[in-house]
This record gives sequence, structure tokens and C-alpha cells, in this order.
Amino acid sequence: MLHLLRIDLKKLTNYRTFWIVCGLYFFTLGMTTASGMEFLKWLVRMGASFGTQINIARIPFYHFPDVWQNITFVSGFFKAILAFMVVISITNEFTYRTVRQNVIDGLSRYQFLISKVLTNILLSAMSMVMVFIIALVTGLIYSPSVEMVDLVMDLEFFAAYFLEVFAFLSFALLLGMVIQRSGLTIVLLVLSQMIEAIIRANVDDYVPWLIPYFPMESISNLIPMPFPKYVFMEIQDYVSISAVLIAGAWTFIFNYLAYLKLKKSDI
Amino acid sequence: MEAVLQIENLTKNFGRLCAVNKMNLEVGKGQVFGMLGPNGSGKTTTLGMLMSVVNPSSGGFKWFGQESTNDTRKKIGAVLEHPIFYPYLTGQKNLELTAMIKGATADQITSVLKLVELSDRKDDKYKTYSLGMKQRLAIASALLNDPQVLILDEPTNGLDPMGISEIRELIKKIASDGRTIILASHLLDEVQKVCTHFAVLKKGNMVYSGPVEDVNKGPEIVEVNADVDLSEVLNTFQGASAINRENGYFEVTLTKGIKGHDLNKFLFEKGITATHLVTKKRSLEKQFLEILAESK
Ligand SMILES: Nc1ncnc2c1ncn2[C@@H]1O[C@H](COP(=O)(O)OP(=O)(O)OP(=O)(O)O)[C@@H](O)[C@H]1O
Ligand SMILES: [Mg+2]
Repeated sequence: MLHLLRIDLKKLTNYRTFWIVCGLYFFTLGMTTASGMEFLKWLVRMGASFGTQINIARIPFYHFPDVWQNITFVSGFFKAILAFMVVISITNEFTYRTVRQNVIDGLSRYQFLISKVLTNILLSAMSMVMVFIIALVTGLIYSPSVEMVDLVMDLEFFAAYFLEVFAFLSFALLLGMVIQRSGLTIVLLVLSQMIEAIIRANVDDYVPWLIPYFPMESISNLIPMPFPKYVFMEIQDYVSISAVLIAGAWTFIFNYLAYLKLKKSDI
Repeated sequence: MEAVLQIENLTKNFGRLCAVNKMNLEVGKGQVFGMLGPNGSGKTTTLGMLMSVVNPSSGGFKWFGQESTNDTRKKIGAVLEHPIFYPYLTGQKNLELTAMIKGATADQITSVLKLVELSDRKDDKYKTYSLGMKQRLAIASALLNDPQVLILDEPTNGLDPMGISEIRELIKKIASDGRTIILASHLLDEVQKVCTHFAVLKKGNMVYSGPVEDVNKGPEIVEVNADVDLSEVLNTFQGASAINRENGYFEVTLTKGIKGHDLNKFLFEKGITATHLVTKKRSLEKQFLEILAESK
């Protein structure tokens, strides 16, 4: 297993684009939290238009345990950048035809896929750790008092965050494997969100209970949007088991379809 | 003979096109096996199936008497069609990657690089290599992990004449260690020089297979000329089965049992002295063209 991961990492770590995209990713993640205060002020203005008066200093946006859900939620948007890297990595293998040579040299198609999936797991885990550190530091800076109870509360959002990123990277891997051209794959990756949203909007009128089962929807349901609570109060501030099960099932399906595709095709 | 490779009814269809049709073939240990055939006859497709990158439509094959797995392929070095590497990696790094997959050691990398004379360019990116250098790197990579079988598809494509003769020597050297080589090539001269056996494919069908030495077993061909016009005299020669004019000579195909000196004696008795009389070695090229023509 570790051997397969090392093979894929060898391809990536000597690839300049990989470092640029990853650098960009972690830089953006950090920048977003740093500029979070500006966002807070925006929230206040929005609140004002609803006739609610808010004192910024009293919004516990960056306080434990709120900070966990808030930052994992916002960070979730940037997974697209990591997904671009995954797309580039897999479509390169097809445009250079190196997947063919890898198999000739003695990887099985299954092993080839596993090497890519392991990288996805590693990227998701690294992203999770990074987001944890960012959230921890911000929490320590902004929380008026740091209580251990608050600190260890709601940590399941990180497990949900990991699954969110991994599920999306799995989708990107599958799409890249099917389409095999990086540009087109990236366009479709972005479009797929919109396409699904359009389908959902139509389905919603007839079978609303089906909505949470849509793949992109299930991924975004893992960490519910926390902000309305500072204006309207009522939100879901926990990770729902059903969301985890549905997103987990999709993750499995994405990777399994990728396996079937690779197994069936001439490379 | 110990069979390294057994192919049974191997078939590949691309939609309606049948690229390889019910192929049966056996390659023995230590053979240098030439796969010949015109463009599109199915050579690369066959080799692709043997290396599990093309899924057969039906039929199968065995390497070393067993069903093929990915571990089997680690003992086979193969370059199909053209070199494939990561363009952004250096030659050295590309080989390190192959070595990781095959389970070869680092000092093998050094030695194969030396063998193909790429040592001083190993730290340059693959994409900066010339065609011949890419080809050499591909051969180096196929030689990693001390393969029992070497599969080369047009290995000399893009090489300079020195490179071609080096590859020829390399093939001979590897074969003399008792290892098996399967070679697809259009350079019939080269094939005749290095191969022990060959097969001819035509539109997916294997139309011939046998040892290269059989090529010389056919009827003798004699090239002859004299100061006088020979065309009428030769027509009266009983031992000729065919007479052609080629390159300013008469090319006489002799019937069975008749030798060049019989023709010489015949001419002498007719009072003609030949100025040119050569018994020609039959070329694989000629045989190849005949096989293709016959199999219409
Ligand atoms: N992926 C594919 N899809 C459809 N047809 C294919 C594919 N690969 C090969 N073919 C067809 O299969 C036939 C055999 O091709 P193949 O590459 O095996 O020929 P070849 O003997 O290696 O030819 P060459 O001497 O030109 O290398 C050709 O008609 C080719 O067009
Ligand atoms: Mg070919």
C-alpha cells in the first residue's frame, strides 16, 4: 500500500505544477481566515438590513467551539483547487499514456487506481490537518477565554470535512478517468455542480425527499452552513449521520466506477 | 523446447474491425522471435494484449506456463510502439519510477544507463531528449530488473546507424544469455540478422511461422550475365523454373536439385562464358513478400 502511495508521490513531487497548485491552495486557505474579520463586518451590514443590530465583538464567530464549524464550512469551498490538481494528475497519465507504461512495467490496473486513491486520501488528510491548525490558531487568538470543554466540542466537523474533501476528490478522479482531457474535465467538474442544482430544482417539485441523495448535495450537506445562526438563530450545528452515510456511499461509488472504467478499457 | 509464451486463439476486435484473429503461437525459451507484417496487421495489438494493456476479445495466453499477472510482467521488459515517459521528469527519475514499479535496484539504473550511453544526459528532462535518446531510454527501462523476456516493437525506429547496430549487438548478447526476445520490426534485414524464428501477420491473421534458417531451404537463385544476350539460351535450360531480368542481370530460379555450377556447365557447353555468376542467398525480405502475396 505504502509502496503504491510512494510511486504516485514520486510522480507528483517532481512536478512543478503540483507545488504551485498546492501552494496556491494552502495560501488561499490561510488568507481566507485572515480576512475573516472583513467578512464579519459584511455579516453585520447584512444583519442591519434585516433590522438586526449586531456588535461585532460579541459575535462568537471565531470562538471555540463555533470556530470549528465556521472554518471547516468556509474551507470546504477551496477543495475545488485540490480537485484541479487531482484532475491534472490523472489526465496527464492518459495524455502522456504513462498509465499504459505503468501497467506494462508491472502495476495492475487496480494498483494503479489505488495509488491515485491513496494520494487523494493523503491530500484530504493534509487539508484537514491544515484547516485544524488554522482553526485552532484563530480560535486561540479570538476566544475571550479558552475552556477545554469548548475546545474538544464539535470536533466531528473535521471528520466530516475530511470526507467532504475526499468525496469530491474521488469524483474528480472518476471524471478525469472517464474524460481523460484536463481542460474538458475541469469545465465539467465545475459545471456538474450547476447541472445537479438544476436537476435538483426540478426534482424538488415532485419528490423532495430525494434531494439529500444527490451526490454534490450530499457532499455539501456534511457541514451545514453555520452563519444564519448569528442572524436568525435556528441551524443544524452537528454532523448528521445520514449525511455521512450518503456521502460515504457516493465516495465508494465514485471510486468503484473509476475501477470498472479502468478495468474495462484498453489503455 | 520449454515454452515461454503460449498463445491460444487470441482475438481482438475493435468494433467491426478484427485486429487479431484467432492467433495460435508458441515462443520457446531462448528464441529471438520476429513478428513481421505490414502496417496495421496487428503486431502492436498482439503485444499489447500480451502485456495486458489491451483486453482480448477472446482467447488467451500463458507466460512461463501460467496465467499472466502483474508480477509476471515485472519479469518482462517491453517497449510498445514508442517510448512512454513522464516528460517533466529527468531520464534518471523516470527510470527510478520504473525501478520502483518493477522492484529493481538503484545500481541497475546506473548500469542500464551506461549500456545505452545516456549516463551524461540522465539529469536532463525527458522532454529535452532527441528521438534516438528517447528510444535508448526506453530500451534502458525495458532492461531494468534483469528481464527473462524482452519485447521490442520497432526498437530501432529513430536510431542512427551506429545505434541500430548497437541494438543488434545488444539483442544478440541478451539472447546468448538464454533469454527470449520478441521483436516486431519492418527492417527485415535486421530481423534476418538477429532472429531465430519469425511469424508473418496479415490483417490480423497469422499466415506463416517458422525458423529463419528455413528461408534458405527454398530453391536456389542464380544471378548470371555474359557478353552476349542470354535470354534465348536460358530458355532452353531445363533446370530453370523461372527467369527474370533484374538490375541488368538474369535471375534464374533453379529447380530442385539443380545447382549454380550446373548452369555454368550448361552455358560453357553452349560456348558461352559467363562474366557474372552468383548464387544468391535468399533474403527474408523476398520470402516475406512471397508469403504475403501467396496468402491472398
Ligand atoms: N484503439 C484502437 N481502436 C480501434 N482500432 C485500433 C486500435 N488500435 C489498433 N487498431 C486497429 O487495429 C489494427 C492493427 O493495429 P496495430 O497497431 O496492431 O498494427 P501494427 O501491426 O502494429 O502496425 P504498424 O506496423 O503500423 O505498427 C489496425 O487496423 C488499427 O487501425
Ligand atoms: Mg505497431
